[in-house]
Amino acid sequence: MPELTLDRITKHFKNKIAVDNASLTLREGVYGFLGANGAGKTTLLRMICGVLKPTSGEIRCNGTEIGRLDGDYRYLLGYLPQDFGYYPDFTAKRYLEYLAACKAVPKDLAKGKVQEMLTLTGLTGSQHGKIRTFSGGMIRRLGIAQALLNDPEILILDEPTAGLDPKERIRFRNIISSLSKGRIIILSTHIVSDVEFIADKILLMKQGRIVKQGTVAEVTESVTGKVWEYLARPEEAGRLNDIFAVSSLKNEGEMVRLRLVSDKRPCEGAVLAPPGLEDVYLYHDTRGKSSKNPIFEEVSEHVDNLERRTL
Amino acid sequence: MLPENTTPCGFPPEWKFPLDETKKKQSLAAIRLEASRKHIRHYPTFREQLWNQLRFRSWKHWLLQGLLLLAAMLLAVALRRRNTSGTETLAACSVFLVFAGNICLCHVADLFSWHMAELEQTLYLNLKQMVCIRILEAGIADFVILSLLLILTGSGSPGETKAALTYMLVPFLWSDTLYLHMLASLRNIASGFRSFALGLLCGSLALFPLLWESIYQPGYLIIWQVLAVAGLLMCIAQINRLLGSIENSDTICQTS
Repeated sequence: MPELTLDRITKHFKNKIAVDNASLTLREGVYGFLGANGAGKTTLLRMICGVLKPTSGEIRCNGTEIGRLDGDYRYLLGYLPQDFGYYPDFTAKRYLEYLAACKAVPKDLAKGKVQEMLTLTGLTGSQHGKIRTFSGGMIRRLGIAQALLNDPEILILDEPTAGLDPKERIRFRNIISSLSKGRIIILSTHIVSDVEFIADKILLMKQGRIVKQGTVAEVTESVTGKVWEYLARPEEAGRLNDIFAVSSLKNEGEMVRLRLVSDKRPCEGAVLAPPGLEDVYLYHDTRGKSSKNPIFEEVSEHVDNLERRTL
Repeated sequence: MLPENTTPCGFPPEWKFPLDETKKKQSLAAIRLEASRKHIRHYPTFREQLWNQLRFRSWKHWLLQGLLLLAAMLLAVALRRRNTSGTETLAACSVFLVFAGNICLCHVADLFSWHMAELEQTLYLNLKQMVCIRILEAGIADFVILSLLLILTGSGSPGETKAALTYMLVPFLWSDTLYLHMLASLRNIASGFRSFALGLLCGSLALFPLLWESIYQPGYLIIWQVLAVAGLLMCIAQINRLLGSIENSDTICQTS
């Protein structure tokens, strides 16, 4: 069973710090990296995969630096990049067979493994179709299939559910849950519900730093007493929206029910509400920002990014 | 005291537990199943890796390679039959070799197709190793074509063959250098138009010496030799640059 250790990892791109002094120990389980776009999730995942080299710090697998392990480390890896690459002229089957060969899957096992993955991702019927003709969801499923091809002990999935419809998303979550035994699974997403139900540990990233980590219960607990609900008139709702981080807005007749995230009671009549993971995300994402109009736009953008728990 | 002919457990010495064949079969099946599930580490040999890179080439690629070889043979035979002048033969062979070099290198450029580089870098046989293998394969194919052209068009005298080799190698090496430079800088040159434009440019440049026919005179051979050595060094430098850019991978993820 591998153990991954990230020891004070920092990554600079020219003058920009993408990942800032991240330290972690990952053992068996599902880890969900949450953060807004540009928080540093993808860069961190690329470093864990060995695609990028840290500017400083070390990533170790069972105590040995991953660069020194070279092929032995990559043998354990399954990776789905954010921008999933493929050869457009290949058929799905041929593509998976090719990657199985590059992943050193024994030839006698490869064919069976390819069929198993095609079945798992529901691509059996399209296996002879050229990838260039596939829809976004099918390409994403193909990406998941290739990541699982070598039965990896370390599975890294960057925005795995982007482009999947709700049914496929649920199916994907179930696949991940069923695979979590005996592996390290790292998921990166800005869709809270993707990780809320399957992640053993949530890691919240902001501006290259891991600002919060723990189980869903622990992370959620951290914003207890900071989530408020308030039934406001429309004009008042607009004003509150300008000032506070709002995780949901719901029309109730003539009134608007607001869910606000704030350290203090936002207004008279606001009542405390039990926090959810989305509130944690929003709380940390908007923390330290001034409460002026531009922030409203930013918060709104993130609210748009948050997928409501309707699945 | 134990009675005679009995074991300490009280059984006669020839007695054995009766075997339950059904249970035995079931147990063996369960063991086999567990063994098949076990992850057994496989280390592919270099030969296996070479073959893997070859066997997944598309039929179009094999067809192109076959046509290239056929064209090389036809060109050589035609030049010999027509008894064309040495200069024209060299120019025709040079242009042909340049095109052949570019076509063979296309397979290296394919590795950078549509964000593949990032994924390939995480595979057991990673991008750097794949590039090395494909450059090696391209080199072997080029060598075969070059040998064919030299054998079929050469005069037979070692001195002249050596000179012809130098004349053909210069445009070939410099066009490969240009191709690899473009690959290291732009990455995605596998797209048809860019590749075709580059091939055309290199082919045209290879025709330039025809403007100064005297340049093929023995007196200028030293210049050709210097250019060949410089081309070889530049080609090696570009391969090194390409591999270095993969190693220092910050730009890998920017490929499109």
